[in-house]
Amino acid sequence: MAIPKSHPVKPSIPLKYPKTLLPRREEIKDMITKDGTYLPKSLLHADLDKGFLEFVKEKFKIVSEGKNIPVVDIIITTQNWSQFVETWDFQNIDKNIEPPFLTIIRNPEVKYGNNPAVMYNIPNRRMYYYMEVPTWDGNRKGADIYKIPQPVPADFRYSVAIVCNRMREVNTLNQRVLETFASRQAYQVINGHYIPIINDGFTDESSMDLEKRKYYIQKYDFTMMGFLIDENEFEVFPAISRTFQVFEVDTKTPKRKQKRQQPTEPEKIIFDYPNSATTKQLHFDYTCNLYFEDSVNVTSYSVYINTNYYGDDVTTIQVNTGDDIRIDIVIGIYNTEPKLTFSQKLL
Amino acid sequence: MRSNVPITRLGKFFGDRDFELEIGLGQEWLIGDMNFTCVLYKIDRNKIKTDDVYGEVIEDGIKFLPPVEFNAQITVAAPENKMIGTTKMDQFEPGNITISVYLKTLEDLGIDIDFGDYVGYYDSENFVRYYTVVNDGRVVSDTKHTYKGFKPFFKTIIAAPVGPNEFRGI
Repeated sequence: MAIPKSHPVKPSIPLKYPKTLLPRREEIKDMITKDGTYLPKSLLHADLDKGFLEFVKEKFKIVSEGKNIPVVDIIITTQNWSQFVETWDFQNIDKNIEPPFLTIIRNPEVKYGNNPAVMYNIPNRRMYYYMEVPTWDGNRKGADIYKIPQPVPADFRYSVAIVCNRMREVNTLNQRVLETFASRQAYQVINGHYIPIINDGFTDESSMDLEKRKYYIQKYDFTMMGFLIDENEFEVFPAISRTFQVFEVDTKTPKRKQKRQQPTEPEKIIFDYPNSATTKQLHFDYTCNLYFEDSVNVTSYSVYINTNYYGDDVTTIQVNTGDDIRIDIVIGIYNTEPKLTFSQKLL
Repeated sequence: MRSNVPITRLGKFFGDRDFELEIGLGQEWLIGDMNFTCVLYKIDRNKIKTDDVYGEVIEDGIKFLPPVEFNAQITVAAPENKMIGTTKMDQFEPGNITISVYLKTLEDLGIDIDFGDYVGYYDSENFVRYYTVVNDGRVVSDTKHTYKGFKPFFKTIIAAPVGPNEFRGI
C-alpha cells in the first residue's frame, strides 16, 4: 500500500473555473492572434517540427537514476547529424552519443493531411474574409480588410526513439506515451494553433546480437495532423471609408394613361337667372337624377332635355351623360333674382 | 570423484612434456616478447547492486574484485560506422576485442573470465577502453583450441565495448 504523501493532495484551489463551450472556443481563437498582429501566425514545416520537439521534451520527460534522459534537441535529418555531434554535450570520448537518450526522426515526406477539419476545401484556394480592423489616418476613420486562404492540411510523421541500456527506462517512456495518448490523441499549441497528434503504434529495434553491444531501441510513431498557413499569402487592403451614391434616372417622359376624372360636381345644382333672363341651359357629362329642392321668385318652369320638352314643374329630372338640360322659367312678382335649386344623385 | 586419464594421443612423437614445453615457449613469446596486457575486472556477484525485477545493474552498482592484469593475444576489430537501428543517427562504434589467452596463464593467476566481466585495454598511456565479455570461450573442445588435437591450451574471449554510463573502471 502506498504511503500518503506529506503535502496536500490538492495544494491550491483555483479561484475561477476554466472556460467551457463558447467562451473556451473564443479563448482558443484569441490564442491564435496573441502576441502578434490581428492575423494568425504563420505555420510552416519548421514551426510544426519545432512544436513537436517541444511536445516531446515536455510530455516525455524521463528521469532515470536521478538524471534526466536527454532529448536530442534537433530533428534528425540526413545531413546535420555528423556536424551536430561535434558539439553534443553528452557524447563519449569517441564522440558518439551515449545512451540513454531520446531522439526524434521526421519522415521526409509530408503528405496531404487527413485532418477532417481542413481537408475538404473549396477549389482554387480563394481568399476568405478573416477580420475587419478599424483604422484612423488622422482625418477619417476607416478599416482594413484582412483576408487569408484556407489552411492546407498536412500530415507530419515522426518517430520518437529511445536508445537505452535499461528496461526501466523503456518502461518509463512507454508509460508516458500510453498515458499521454490514452485517448489516442494529444494536442500541442504551435504558434497559437491547436494541432492534434495521434499515436500510430511503436516498433522495437533493440540490438540483441550476441557479440555486439546491446541496447534497447524502441520507436514510437506519431502523426501530427497539422496544416500550413503562409503569412506571405495574407491580403490586407483598405475597406470602403466613404460612399458616394449616384442615381441615374430616365429623362424620357413616360406615357401614362390618363386617369378617368371622377365627378366633382356639387351636390346642389343651381339654375340662376340674372338680368331678367328666363332660360338657362347646363351640360352634364354624367348620368344622374336631379331632384327639385327650392325656387326663388319663380312662378313656374319648363324642362327641356336636348331641346326636347320634358315637362313643367317636374320634381325629378333623369339626366344621361352628355345631355343638355334647359329650364325656362316664368319670373315671379318679386324683385329678387330668380333661382331654381336641385339636388343631384349620381347614378 | 574426478578421474585422471592420461592422454596418449600422438604418443609416438608427442607427450605431456612436449606440450608443456610448447606452452612454455609460447608464453615466453607472448609474455616476454609481445607483452600485450589486459586488466580483468571480475564482477563480484555477491556485492553487485541490481534491480530486483530485471536484474539490471543500477547506476554505479557494479562491484568488482580486485583487478588482475594478464597477458593475452589481443585483436581489436575495426570500428564500424553504422546507424543506431533506423534512427538515422550514425555512430562510429569501436570494434570488439578478441582476447586469446593461455589456459595456463589463467591457472597461474587463479582467475577465470566469465560472461559480463569487464576487461580494460589501454589504447594509450592515458586512455583505457572498457569491454564487457560477450563470449567467454568456455568451451575449448574444438580442434582449433587444442595443440594439434592433443589438449586444449587457450581460450578465445570476445568482449564488446561499453560506455562510461555502464562501466568506468576504478
